[in-house]
Amino acid sequence: MPPRLKTVPDKWIVEQTLADLGDTTPERVEARFAEVRQRFDEQSAIHSADPETWRTFVVAWTGRKSGVLSLITDHWLKPASPELKRAVGQELNKLKAHIEAVLEQKRIEIEAAAERAAQARERIDLSLPGIERATGTRHLIRQTFEELERIFLAIGFSVVQGPEIESPYYNFEALNIPEHHPARDNMDTFYIEGTRGGRLLRTHTSPMQIRTMEKQPPPVRIIVPGKVYRRDNPDATHGYMFHQIEGLAVDTDITFCDFKGTVEYFVREFLGPKAKTRLRPSYFPFTEPSAEVDATCHVCGGSGCRVCKFSGWIELFGAGMVDPAVYGFVKYDAKKLSGFAFGMGVDRLAMMKYGVSELPLLYQNDVRFLRQFP
Amino acid sequence: MKILYKWLKEFVDVTAPAPELGLRLSLAGNAIDSVEEFIAGPVLDAEVTANRPDCLGHYGMAREIAAIYRLPLKALQPKPKESSEKAVDATRVEIDCPELCGRYTARILRGVKVQPSPDWLRQRLEAIGQNSINNVVDVTNYVMFELGQPLHAFDLDKLAERRIIVRRARPGETIHTLDGARRPLAPDMCVIADAARAVAIAGVMGGTESEIGFSSRDILLESAWFDPISVRRTSKALGLRTEASYRFERGADPEMAEMASRRAAELIQQLGGGEILAGVVDVYPRRKPPLVIELARTELLRVMGADVPDRDIEEILGALGFHPVRKDAERGTPDSPAVVWACRQPSWRHDVTREVDLVEEVARHFGYDKFPPRLPPAKQPAHRLPHAGALGLLCERVVALGYQEIVEIPLVDPQRDALFRPEERIPAVISNPLAEDASVMRSSGIVSMLGALEWNLNHGQRNLRLFEIGKTYEINAQGGEPVETPVLTLGATGLAREKTIYEALREFGFADLKGDLDSLGDLAGGLAWQADGPAWLAAGRAARISLAQSAAEKEARALGVAGQLARKIAEQLKLRQDVFVAEVRLDPFLAGIEAARAVRRFAPIPRYPAVERDFSLVLADGVTFAEVDAAIRALGIAELRRVEPADLFRGGQIPAGRFSLMIRVTFQSAETTLTEAQLADFSSRIIAALEQRLGATLRAS
Ligand SMILES: [Zn+2]
Repeated sequence: MPPRLKTVPDKWIVEQTLADLGDTTPERVEARFAEVRQRFDEQSAIHSADPETWRTFVVAWTGRKSGVLSLITDHWLKPASPELKRAVGQELNKLKAHIEAVLEQKRIEIEAAAERAAQARERIDLSLPGIERATGTRHLIRQTFEELERIFLAIGFSVVQGPEIESPYYNFEALNIPEHHPARDNMDTFYIEGTRGGRLLRTHTSPMQIRTMEKQPPPVRIIVPGKVYRRDNPDATHGYMFHQIEGLAVDTDITFCDFKGTVEYFVREFLGPKAKTRLRPSYFPFTEPSAEVDATCHVCGGSGCRVCKFSGWIELFGAGMVDPAVYGFVKYDAKKLSGFAFGMGVDRLAMMKYGVSELPLLYQNDVRFLRQFP
Repeated sequence: MKILYKWLKEFVDVTAPAPELGLRLSLAGNAIDSVEEFIAGPVLDAEVTANRPDCLGHYGMAREIAAIYRLPLKALQPKPKESSEKAVDATRVEIDCPELCGRYTARILRGVKVQPSPDWLRQRLEAIGQNSINNVVDVTNYVMFELGQPLHAFDLDKLAERRIIVRRARPGETIHTLDGARRPLAPDMCVIADAARAVAIAGVMGGTESEIGFSSRDILLESAWFDPISVRRTSKALGLRTEASYRFERGADPEMAEMASRRAAELIQQLGGGEILAGVVDVYPRRKPPLVIELARTELLRVMGADVPDRDIEEILGALGFHPVRKDAERGTPDSPAVVWACRQPSWRHDVTREVDLVEEVARHFGYDKFPPRLPPAKQPAHRLPHAGALGLLCERVVALGYQEIVEIPLVDPQRDALFRPEERIPAVISNPLAEDASVMRSSGIVSMLGALEWNLNHGQRNLRLFEIGKTYEINAQGGEPVETPVLTLGATGLAREKTIYEALREFGFADLKGDLDSLGDLAGGLAWQADGPAWLAAGRAARISLAQSAAEKEARALGVAGQLARKIAEQLKLRQDVFVAEVRLDPFLAGIEAARAVRRFAPIPRYPAVERDFSLVLADGVTFAEVDAAIRALGIAELRRVEPADLFRGGQIPAGRFSLMIRVTFQSAETTLTEAQLADFSSRIIAALEQRLGATLRAS
């Protein structure tokens, strides 16, 4: 039990009647009430600081049994002479109203303070991390494939895929690369033991050009994503496996201009609207005319830097108009049909776009790398 | 091919500085990788494509430049001073194998002083990356880099009977080549022989026995044309690549042979004096009339889609040596759509035989940049891969479950591969691997997955959840055909949840793997689990999984395996944490996802409340949750919705040999709120069934 606090005067004047106090005129009554009110104001100021004291104070003044207001009613109002009753009643009501107003005001203040204190206690440190659920990621190569597929699906290229273990016919002969062609120098090949016809690991995704045209009459408009293999000793930019996406469009009215427009569309979609395209004549056995597709250097924006050997251009991939000799292998009419093909190194495109410095990073599958591309 | 700027200027009056010239050459199809300064001046490094052996000499490159800048190309006119004695009287040349040697010319020089080359020659050769040997050998090299024609000089005194026979090598014949090796020859190889033995491998390398040295006086200068395929085959078989073989295998210019010989004789005389016998011994079985190729404007338009003016076409083709002549009926009308040119194939351009080849010549010199871009309208709808939608859903969910995708190279170590390969499966083995540890196409995705886990564990990354969409490879036992099977592989180790200020840590366990696979399986209508698995999974923690809801045959429903890696294997691979893996065949899984999607329909959301009842059971060890579930379901209570395990423990008050299982059963009616009486009836039936069928006792809770 807390010690009883001195919140009201000792039995004080309110335990006496007005008559005992000698207050017989309305003026005296008014003065007496003023005295009580002054006492209340003084005491409320003193006792409002501590909530516990305040509760005692409130009971002392408004308690039903022995609160000051009840005592005044009992000792002052009830026994008052008829002449004074009215004045005492009015003064008592005024005092009540005053006390209630002060207490209500105080109650609001106390509650607000308590709420503030509680909030201060419970406030969350926003700088603490939340509970993160472990989420996975898709590999940068897959993300790049998806992006490339989106770009080409939007202009009517369907996606097809084919085997990685291929026959020499589809990988070379039908693409106009006979056995002793010097172009095979750039395509050192892995062979598979004990397979019919000396199967090999495809060196490019181009065999699907042939497989698709064999199966399907023109028009053809396909892309072919997949893994390809070259028997090259690996270094920072070359591996013995990498990913390609092949493209082929054949119809009765496809021209070099269409080829150029498609390639320029691709470069803008993939590298951004400011990227420019340049076609350089080149040579591939299965395209004629052939071209290397260059784009504005992504590092310097075309002004020249080490990455682009100060040319402002970066070589993206090889492409060209389908060589009519290829149509001969798939029984297409080379006099009526024309088309274009391209073969992009997806690893190279991804490395370039995202600034990946070394090819092996793509296949080490270090989660610190994988997490960088959520 | 290195191109010396000053050397070019001897053939074409180009004024553009070297870097600009390099760019123009690149844009016409002769990629110039770099321009470097040497004592002899700027050198352009050209990446000559395989179809352009004519550009493997300065003169050919000068022709390209002449066409680019529309400048005249200077004619070659070497005029060596010849003596009255004739070469044909001094030697003889026979070609026994005209199919391998289309032309052979021999020129005879006498009394040449073989000595070091002068500075200008040494500097030029040095600038293009060649060592200087002596004036005669240097001249043969010099002329090769000038005209693209490889030459060879023999010491005439060392040729038996001073004559040349071009023939196939004899069985067992060998030759000691200039690089110091003794090389075995085969009858499909063409050799240059004297009356006694092979003295050079045709088009590849000469022999030491007839080599020119500082004591040589008389020289037989060879300038020939050898069959490209034969040279390539020989050079590959011997593993001997030379500047000469590089040119012959791409196709030398047969018409250049005599000219190059004359040019070399002129230079040798200039540098070493001596006497040049008159004329040349020239055996030329392959002489062919030039091919006539027509180019029609209609074809140019059909391929290129935009026009090129007559004047440009004629200037370009003219400069490149095609002699275009209009032959259409509308001669005189310029730029008519009906124009047709008759062109003559130059002897140095065996790559140009068709109309489309002429189209390319015109286009590359006119400029690819001058053709306007256009996007061709699509005439058909585009399709993604057949299962792309299902695969997308699957990947989305695997990623949501916290797995990171990896991409693997499927060439693996055969010993590791064998650990995970079913015995009956024939692996696809590489016959010419680069390295032993990448010499077989993997039989399982697990082998790569463990490699990726290992890499990360070795790099301080201990909590891993990885997945791969890839393939496995094998050779079909019956037909020897390769088979590629798409698979999804999962791998996990370490913590399922790391400790945070909010939560305690938790190790990844079998239940995590099972839950993750079931989440994926939901897409295909659920998975069925069967305790069993390959030897590389831990016994008792291995399962075969299949599609639960599929009309397909049992074989087609089988998806794969999942479980904890056997300790023995983990130790072998030095994996020091528990590792959980799964491999699932993609094709049936994706088909299952599609089938499940096809039949999936809305089910009304229940309007009446669901009620749960818990039953604490004590069961004998060995009783499975599935048996409990089945016993309850067998009652056929229509209002039964779910049976879930809520708590499971052993020990404490539970006697040995038994365990406590609390199950939570949910009831719900579609028509009404269930009454206490109904629920009491369900409960008593369930208790009775579990007691009778499984010997369960109810534990007071
Ligand atoms: Zn740059």
